[in-house]
Amino acid sequence: MTTTTMKNQNQVALTRRQFVVSSALASGGLALGFHFPAAAQSNELSTLGGSEINAWVVVRPDDSCVIRIARAEMGQGTHTGLAQLVAEELECDWAKVSLQTFTPGQNLARKRVWRNMSTGGSRGIRESHEYVRQGGAAARIMLLQAAAAEWKVPVTELSVEKGVVTHAASGKATSYGKLASQASKLPAPDPKSIVLKHPKDWKILGKSPRRLDTAPKVNGSLKYGIDTVLPGMQYAAIKACPVFGGKLVSFDASKISSRRGIKAVVRVDDESVAVLADSFWRAKSALEVLPITWDFGPNGKESSATIAERLREGLTSTNNVFADIDQGNVAEAIQGAAKKIEAVYGTPFVSHACMEPMNCTARVTADRAEVWVPSQNAEASLAALAAVTGLPLEKCEAYNPPLGGGFGRRGGTQDYVRQAALIAKQFPGTPVKLIWTREEDMTHDYFRPIGQCRLVAGIDAKGDMVGLHLRVSGQSINAYVSPHNIIDGKDRRQLQGYWKDPGESQLGYTVPNLKVEYAMRNTHVPVGPWRGVNTNQNAIYLECFIDEVAKAAGKDPLTFRRNLIKNHPKHLGVLDAVADKGGWDKPLAPGMFRGIAQFMGYGSYTAAIAEVSIKGNDVKVHRVILATNCGHAVNPVQIASQIEGSVAYGMDSLQSESSVKDGRIVEKNFDTYPIARMYQMPKIESVIAPTYDFWGGVGEPTICVVAPAILNAIAAARGGKPVRMLPLKNEGLRLV
Amino acid sequence: MNLRRRLLWALGLGWGWGATPALFAQHVPQERLLQPYVGVNAVQKGRVKLEIARLADNGFNVPLKVSVASPMTAQDHVRRLLLLSNRNPRPLMAAFEFGPSSDQVSIATRVRLGGSQTVYALAQTSDGLWWLDSAEVEVTESACLDQT
Repeated sequence: MTTTTMKNQNQVALTRRQFVVSSALASGGLALGFHFPAAAQSNELSTLGGSEINAWVVVRPDDSCVIRIARAEMGQGTHTGLAQLVAEELECDWAKVSLQTFTPGQNLARKRVWRNMSTGGSRGIRESHEYVRQGGAAARIMLLQAAAAEWKVPVTELSVEKGVVTHAASGKATSYGKLASQASKLPAPDPKSIVLKHPKDWKILGKSPRRLDTAPKVNGSLKYGIDTVLPGMQYAAIKACPVFGGKLVSFDASKISSRRGIKAVVRVDDESVAVLADSFWRAKSALEVLPITWDFGPNGKESSATIAERLREGLTSTNNVFADIDQGNVAEAIQGAAKKIEAVYGTPFVSHACMEPMNCTARVTADRAEVWVPSQNAEASLAALAAVTGLPLEKCEAYNPPLGGGFGRRGGTQDYVRQAALIAKQFPGTPVKLIWTREEDMTHDYFRPIGQCRLVAGIDAKGDMVGLHLRVSGQSINAYVSPHNIIDGKDRRQLQGYWKDPGESQLGYTVPNLKVEYAMRNTHVPVGPWRGVNTNQNAIYLECFIDEVAKAAGKDPLTFRRNLIKNHPKHLGVLDAVADKGGWDKPLAPGMFRGIAQFMGYGSYTAAIAEVSIKGNDVKVHRVILATNCGHAVNPVQIASQIEGSVAYGMDSLQSESSVKDGRIVEKNFDTYPIARMYQMPKIESVIAPTYDFWGGVGEPTICVVAPAILNAIAAARGGKPVRMLPLKNEGLRLV
Repeated sequence: MNLRRRLLWALGLGWGWGATPALFAQHVPQERLLQPYVGVNAVQKGRVKLEIARLADNGFNVPLKVSVASPMTAQDHVRRLLLLSNRNPRPLMAAFEFGPSSDQVSIATRVRLGGSQTVYALAQTSDGLWWLDSAEVEVTESACLDQT
């Protein structure tokens, strides 16, 4: 069971009340179409029988409005949220809205009129809210101008509601469907002249209309990338060298070539081999028995132990370390403190474990290349396809069906697109569907980077923290995927959430003597962004340690945090909101324990309370209360849904680990790689507390507080004994 | 630039201005980028043709072609051609020298780009005039690495 509290702080200021988001608010049922270009015949985007008012809006004669969406849908609900943003300014009838997606080729052909198609960094809404609302507003202005011209009245005398335009003085009325053709011929208004609505005037935004993509998911009709079927299609199974950095030496195709349905065995690149067959099962089964010779190279000697040793060295080394914050004199402050507290925390590599494994269908000829790929960034897929085939972008296209999970795996790292294109290139004109097995997916991920963190704090006689020295030692994502983002050898990205800079992922605590350092210690394991990226690990390190310090100071964890956080009112705001909703000041039932945590990421502020009980080694999480201030709440029920997903993802990360032995990943499937199960899920209560003075993300920043809140509750249940090295099994604990 | 960013800049807290290093390299405005090479001289669009794909799936080696229309005679030829980046730590990516004995000015190479940016091809002709072409390139980044 889940409840959501919408705490509208604008309204709080006026009415001093909270209101609960219930199913009554989630009204406005829709009979909605979903227009997805399965294979565009040209770079011209269809107007679906209507008139294109501008790039974002098409209006059809029956008054239905088609809203174009640039971002990818992977369950986070961004399609519905973005449509709400456009529809609000368009003043159309939400019940007559449908969506249309388009291809990166179509975006390029129109000089990227829809801008960035990348879906990550919790950017979908917070990055594009302004220009998509302007798109909706511009279309409304043009439609009203068309009515004014037809009736020969000043446009200022017109009003519009739900797509019906009226002129009160004359009693005339018409609808968007009738105006669309004329409106589409008018010049677009100057964007600078457009005034967007104040949130207090919102009719569609801030409400929770039903999601546009639920029904086809529930009834099974939604086609994901892995469902792609093309005439004459062949299936490919792939195996890359199990040791990262190793090479493919040779394989003996003759051992499997006589098996039923096998078409070919091909070298894909320096490190992988694929079997092509008339069904995936035949391709996969043949690949399993294909004799392959690998050159594992020097990385075959790497293991979790050698990697842990490298990270430990970084915790105290003076080599390759930089301080992002160094204020006051930390060494002196801790030396002179009444009490010194020290701890080392660690978080492992983890896999994205998307429900839909990596896949890509490709068709390549001498003068055209196409892929059908679930991608968080269809433009990246297109660019990868062009790079592999050597064809210009105009001769390539990427179709982007909905994703069965992305979590950062399907973003800029388009390895599966490259592989599918490399295979398809060898069979011109034949569509090839490459599917990774679960084992391939889990052992060739771009893993969440491994890290350790040493924290040392000093408290004075009053129990106040006078010094904090925090050093992260671990692998850098930028070093692996975007080295150009490392400036002067300093990768600030790994310290996400500890930054002094406001706005993005700011440290909420004020400590007079503070040093925050990063020691880059890279490994041979590929790493990449994992939903929430570095906020997850960094929140665990700091928030669990803060509880240790609070305990040493003899203070309540909430009181201790409130004292440290008082200079950052928004951080404090969500901390208080969660404490209030969670009843922090009220006693718990016997055997129940709770923990609290707060953090900032992706422009949003979050805090959580977890309630747990422990029986032997079994940890039961009973209740999680999670508060967020994401600035503007576009769709509260959707935010609550994201929070629920975040709790599940945070609980995954407590249990799972991708460990390394003989240079390769050990955990290959869900038998050894546990993720959160239904029976483990707690009751989740969401508190949405927008302050309407910024736009923050939701999908990622709501994860990072989940694990530390639960860990702090576990520590409380164990008499203050913290869990410092994840996953929980290292302490003999498991979630039940 | 949205209001929040504008405010940050106004407060001098915008990325790149604080005591800590910038999270991402900043784009250098065109005038400031070209000034070290052209000084106070005017720069004209034309004669230079820069061909580079609008999208690159990474910035490690991005192919491009540049040509400059010129008779390449002793009286009228291209002296130099510069490739500039408005985001790389070192803005001058390549410099080519030419003379009247060069048959034509046409180069094809690969450059490394530190993220999405504008690439400039700047040529100086023997009469001292500067000619420019530029192109925006989107370097697609990993999903959740904020602010590309």
